[in-house]
Amino acid sequence: MRKIPIERLQEWSKLGHRTVLGETLVMLGADYPEMVTVTADLTPTARLTGFKEAYPDRFYDVGIAEQNMIDFTAGLAVEGIRPFTVGLAAIVPMRPAEQMRVALGYMNLNATVIGIEAGVRFGPLGNTHYAMDDIAVVRAIPNFTIVSPSDPLQVHKALYAAAEYDGPIYMRLTGGPGFPIMYPDDFDFQIGKAIEYRKGSEVAFISNGALLAEAVAAADILQNKGISVRVIDMHTVKPLDTVMLDKVFAENKLIVTIEEHSPIGGLGGAVAEYKAGFTGTPKQVFASLGDKFQKLGDHAFLMKENRLTASGLAALAEENL
Amino acid sequence: MDKKNTIESIEKEAAVMRRHVIEMGYAAGGRGAHFGPALSSIEIVASLFFEIMNHNPLNPTMAERDRFIQSKGHACLSYYAALVETGYITKEQMYTFKGDGSFLSGHPSRNMKYGIEISSGSLGNGFAIACGMAKAAKIKKENHNVYCLVGDGECNEGIIWEAAMNGAKSKLDNLIAIVDRNGVQLAGKTIDIMDVDLEALWKAVGWEVLIVKEGNDTASILKALEKMKNSQSGKPHVIIANTTKGKGISFMEDSISWHARPLNKEDYEQAVSELENA
Repeated sequence: MRKIPIERLQEWSKLGHRTVLGETLVMLGADYPEMVTVTADLTPTARLTGFKEAYPDRFYDVGIAEQNMIDFTAGLAVEGIRPFTVGLAAIVPMRPAEQMRVALGYMNLNATVIGIEAGVRFGPLGNTHYAMDDIAVVRAIPNFTIVSPSDPLQVHKALYAAAEYDGPIYMRLTGGPGFPIMYPDDFDFQIGKAIEYRKGSEVAFISNGALLAEAVAAADILQNKGISVRVIDMHTVKPLDTVMLDKVFAENKLIVTIEEHSPIGGLGGAVAEYKAGFTGTPKQVFASLGDKFQKLGDHAFLMKENRLTASGLAALAEENL
Repeated sequence: MDKKNTIESIEKEAAVMRRHVIEMGYAAGGRGAHFGPALSSIEIVASLFFEIMNHNPLNPTMAERDRFIQSKGHACLSYYAALVETGYITKEQMYTFKGDGSFLSGHPSRNMKYGIEISSGSLGNGFAIACGMAKAAKIKKENHNVYCLVGDGECNEGIIWEAAMNGAKSKLDNLIAIVDRNGVQLAGKTIDIMDVDLEALWKAVGWEVLIVKEGNDTASILKALEKMKNSQSGKPHVIIANTTKGKGISFMEDSISWHARPLNKEDYEQAVSELENA
């Protein structure tokens, strides 16, 4: 993996996760001759034009047919090719869920499925284009690993990690234009290993995706009021880093799970399921999109509506302390 | 071997495979088996495994092997019967079909040790995966073919047509699909459930289409497979083979109820008797 200069990170931050994805796939193409890219008529949207031009023989557009996209991916992976398959998070895990299960999951194939614009990033396009349940769909499929990177460099590093990973991955991308840089310097990234972004003893914020920035800002607000906050970047939802969770259970008083997803079946659900096996663990509060369809509005409006902002998260924590 | 001997040899294997189907299905007891769709496809599968395909039971992962994908996975007994007769699976293993802990599930589960290429049987998906495998051969510049057995009822599935369109676009001339048109699906005759012109549909999505009027006639199916194998059309190929559901067992032929059900002792004995006297 090459070192990414800060200027490039700033550009990625400005343009959002799609650009990080498109540019990283081109780099992967150079570094991994067996990797290919598959999509379903999403080439410009997913910023795949660069890959298509650089590697026309390794780029496949199956047309607007997501179910076939996943089975086609499986057919390539069965034969030892390593596909990176890109779709909208709102469409891809849900519509071809059965293909994800019987082809990629059951056969435990080395393939990475990437859902772009996860959560409610598509704001004004409406609820048909919101991915609020994509993690829930994939989490129930055995063998799948689920990664939701938290900043531009982490998206880049997660894609590189995927290229050498055994088994199917669903990678959920959040963070549009203005995607905050949380890791300006190189850092150790391993799928399945959470990052303790900030140490703290009272509240534990456990987040993933681009909401890490809001979690850290919320921690600052609480810190100024004398409340000590630990921030965990739980970028991998499955398998959960239970070593990190054990520390949180032992050392913190309140857990706030933070995700741009339904409270059912996502990060919050995963933490709660693990926590259910223990007595004497801290209370958990779910910061999420709620179990509901959303009002129409842009991303910032919907984040505020769901209290997925720094002030909203800080208030939620205070109410529950 | 000359042509006549080849055909006779496949017919002999087909007869043994029919017996294996009955044995495995009977061994499954009350768990039942999909007899009808296995028996309709025997000559197709036998022709592939005993003549058309390059494969080696002693080396199931041989890179240059032709791939066989049974997309209509519920008919797995014809596939397993071929794997037994070619030596991938032992007769002892055969009798574990559908048993607790057996690797011979009611729909194929990928197991390269025994020549089972992919997990299939969720209808439509095996065919779509086969298209991806054929594309992979193109990408890797490998010369093997992919043969995929599809059901006529299975062609109700939307993904068949998604994959067929992409197969034509990708010029997968290394892919030969065979539609086992036995005319019966789970709940009734295909003409009653979804009456479609399969030939027109496959042509419309850009495939080279060949109709075999007697899909249980070894000479006919073998000739069609050889023709498609040697075709220079540059298109993916589909053989629509008219077959008889439950072929070879009188009370199973053209029967909706024998699509899938348990086989009792009396019926088993009659089936065996019919096969022995055929």
